[in-house]
Order: sequence, then C-alpha cells, then structure tokens
Amino acid sequence: MTRHHRYPAFDLVKAEVPDDLCPVATDMSPMLPGDWRSMRPVVDRDKCVKCAVCWLYCPVQCVQEHAAWFDFNLATCKGCGICANECPQRAITMVEEAK
Amino acid sequence: MGRSFNTIAFDPSKCDGCGDCMRACASVKYDSEDTSRSLIQILGRETDKGSAFELALCRQCGDPKCTTVCPAGALTKNGESGVIEWDGSKCVDCLLCTIGCSYAGIALDETTGRVSKCDTCAGNPACVPACPHGALRYVTTSNIYNEVGDWEDLFAPGLAGCQGCNTELLMRHTLRRVGPDTVLATPPGCVPGMGSVGFNGTTGTKVPVFHPLLTNTAAMLAGIKRQYKRVGREITALAIAGDGGASDVGFQSLSGAAERGEQMLFMVVDNEGYMNTGMQRSSCTPYGAWTSTTPVGKSSDGSHLSQGKTQDAKNLPLIMVNHRCAYVATASTAYMEDLYEKLDKAIQASKTGFAYLHVYSPCTTGWRFPTDQNMEVARKAVETNFVMLWEYTPDTGVHFTRPVDKPLPVTDYLKAMGRFRHLSPEQIEHIQKKVEENRRIVERLAENAHAA
Repeated sequence: MTRHHRYPAFDLVKAEVPDDLCPVATDMSPMLPGDWRSMRPVVDRDKCVKCAVCWLYCPVQCVQEHAAWFDFNLATCKGCGICANECPQRAITMVEEAK
Repeated sequence: MGRSFNTIAFDPSKCDGCGDCMRACASVKYDSEDTSRSLIQILGRETDKGSAFELALCRQCGDPKCTTVCPAGALTKNGESGVIEWDGSKCVDCLLCTIGCSYAGIALDETTGRVSKCDTCAGNPACVPACPHGALRYVTTSNIYNEVGDWEDLFAPGLAGCQGCNTELLMRHTLRRVGPDTVLATPPGCVPGMGSVGFNGTTGTKVPVFHPLLTNTAAMLAGIKRQYKRVGREITALAIAGDGGASDVGFQSLSGAAERGEQMLFMVVDNEGYMNTGMQRSSCTPYGAWTSTTPVGKSSDGSHLSQGKTQDAKNLPLIMVNHRCAYVATASTAYMEDLYEKLDKAIQASKTGFAYLHVYSPCTTGWRFPTDQNMEVARKAVETNFVMLWEYTPDTGVHFTRPVDKPLPVTDYLKAMGRFRHLSPEQIEHIQKKVEENRRIVERLAENAHAA
C-alpha cells in the first residue's frame, strides 16, 4: 500500500455534478492558525535525532522534515507545546513570540 | 522523503543510578563484567538535594559532529538505520571524534586502546530492558513516520481546534490512514466545529464530508454506503463522532447500524463531555468531574453543595461488544502504535461489517490542563487503568492489547487536571473502586474468551 503522492483535487465539472444540486464546497478553507501562537517551538538542530516523535504527536501535523532535523511550519503551528514536552532528546524549547 | 530513526530516550527523573544498563551492555558487547567498558554510561550521584544522573551515550545525531571531524572517514551515518557506524580498519586512533561529540557518546576503550560507541545492538538495545525503573525507553515511533509520513494529510492545513487538541491529532492521523476513497460523516461536535465540514463554500476536508444531525449519523452514513455499493463504488464509510453524539442522543442510530452490521467504520472521540458547546456533561463524563452542568460549589442560597457529576460514566465500548460487531476496540493517542494497529484492523473489518473504535481524547480546554500536557494526561489515564486498551472480534473475543498489570494509583491521573481538583477523599475512593471494578469486568470477558 503506497500512497506517496498528492491526490488530485475534486473537479465539479469533470464529475458532472449538477449546478442546481445543493451548495457544494470545493475550495479549501484558507485559515492559517499560526497567528494564534504566543509561544514558538525552536529546534536545537544539534540535539535532534530525527525520531519523528514531534511529528507523531503534533495535533496540527505541521512538522516538516529537513535533511538532518525536523522543523515546524509556523504558518499553522498553534504553539501548544506538545512537541517540546514529548521530545525524547529535549531538542525543542518553547520561546515567547516577540511583539 | 527522507527517513526518521529509532532512538534511546532517557528520563533522569526515573534513574537511581543502579548501573544495570551498564552491566547489560558490557556483558552483551564484551562478555565482561567491567562496566567501564559499557557503551552506555550513567554519570552523577545521589546528593542531599536529590539525585542527578546524566546519560553518556551516542545519540545517533541527525547531524553528527563526530563524522565531520573524523579525518579518516571511519565514522559514517547509516541512512537506513540512522546508526553512526565505526569502521575500525579506517580509524587512525586520533580520538578527534571524542572531542567533537557533545554527549560523550564515543570514548576510548582502554582495554583495546581504540574508540567504542553504541550501535543500538542492531535495533534491539540490551540496556533498555535491563533498566528496572523504566528510565530508558527505545522509541520506535519512527516506524509510523517512515510508512505514512509523506501520505497526504486529508484535512485542510488550518483547522480551528483548540491549541493542543487531541481530537485534531486523531482526525488527521485517522483520515490519512483511511485514505482518499472515503466518505466522512461528522455529527455536531468538535470535529465539524473546528472547520472540517467548512462553511461559505469552503471545506476543511479533502474527501466528501457531510454533517448529519446528532441523532442520525450512523443511519445516514449507512444509506450513503449502500448507495455507493449500488452504483458499484468501493468506499470506506467513516464516521468521526463525539461521545455525546454517540452515547447519548445518537445512540439509537448507532445501535441500529451495529445490529444490522452496516459496513462502516464508526470512530468515537471520547473527550467525556459536550466540549464543543461549552463543556456540558455527557453520559461518558466520569464520576466527580466538573462540567458546566455538573458544577462545583454551593448554590446561590447556600442550601446545596455540588461536587461534580454524581453518576458514573457509561461504558460505551462494552455496550458495542454486546452488539457483536465485526470489530470493537478502545485506543488512546498516547499509544499511537497500538492505535495504528487497531485502525488497520478496523478499516479491514469495515469492508464486511460494523467496526467500532473508541478513542480517549483528553480535552485541554474542558478538562482544565495546560496544552502541552495532552499526551501526558492520555498516558496517565492508561497507566492508572482509568482507561483500558483492548479489542474485540467475534472470533477471538475480548483481549487486552496493552495490559497494565501494576497500575499507578488513580490520583496520579486525577491530579493532572483541573476538573477533578475539588474531589473529596471519599470521591477519590469511589473512582479508584470503579477503576478496579471496570478492570475486573473486562478481565472476566477476556478470560471467558480464552476459555471458549
């Protein structure tokens, strides 16, 4: 079972959905909750061993893999701090967002 | 995609410096009793202010410094296992690596006169099971990442779940695993409330999703699944419902669909209350818990003292076992490997019958604990047997998947959150008794399953 690709977006015209059916939402919600954040996760790259525990427990799934460490997509990270609490190597610290 | 790797985690608060890990390592690696040769070293001592132990062990760094300082190319990071391998035939014994390492993870072995370092015993480290206090853990969650890490997240990047929302975590993992050929039903609750159904022409989900009433989730999804079957399309009918929507007002349609054996996967996210609408009690709210409808304190005229919920929680997963569904299981996001195994079995079972997954989902807002403690609370629930992880199939009966034979006292769980802060000793005793009673009930079922 491999699904290592992105899925094509649903196309109303191709799928022959009648336009008088009912309201059908096809646009992705544009909300990015990164601006809720008061604390930001910062990874110590020297300490990161790429165990993916942060990815596993990140509710937003905003963890992104880099060649030698894991980092966060700050557009969606809400700053909950679960990653910093769970990191087995304590490589993540939460720092206050500057004003 | 790259790769993630297993790692040995050390919890200094649990370590008492007994040295069993070092003895195990020296014995396995060199058949020696000399712990100074062990590749794992525990440093520190017991002081008046308490113990302070530190670990000297190769971390198998993601970006290792030892490999870059080595002039002979004797140290290389294995891209498959993540282990930093030492090649004795290339090593020139300059010991630069021992200076380059910040963790004392590579050191001179005085017996051989050469450096030595941990190789994680080829993925089965001897030190970890040797630790009698659980201070060492071999974290293997990278297996999940290596399999599904680059599968597409089928929810929108931004959902409006609270900070640290366990339900959002569960939804994203679940739908990614179940896949794109899915129709998702989410009755009123946190799941659609955080924007998975969407509004104003936008959607939060990349698969067809609909928003039934609280009462008819299972019935409506059953009809949709049957229509897809009629037109010959293979889909997974997935419901993600809250405990309120499943155990209270949605129960009759859930029970009916289970009894008819409708082919669907019904997942209940049990955050023990109606958290989306303002933390009201549900029939899954445990005894003693504060909610906005089971308040704590004196009534306005002072005549009545309220101390949280006065009834015990309904055990919905056991009720579903009594429907003889194709698959029933309880799970917790703190035990993600267990959850993934159950999810796979449930997906399989939903192709022929009714699969029911009951996942405990601590609610940071409604249960009153800090957002970063979510997994900690979920883990404590299992470690105290407040929540038990088991599964049921008609062939094998009920059995525990992660039995906890030496549970912590339930107070360890209760004190982790604010909704139990007011409990009296009598109430705590009642909860402890209920935990043990629930354990006996599931144990009895499990024993009978084996007898049959």
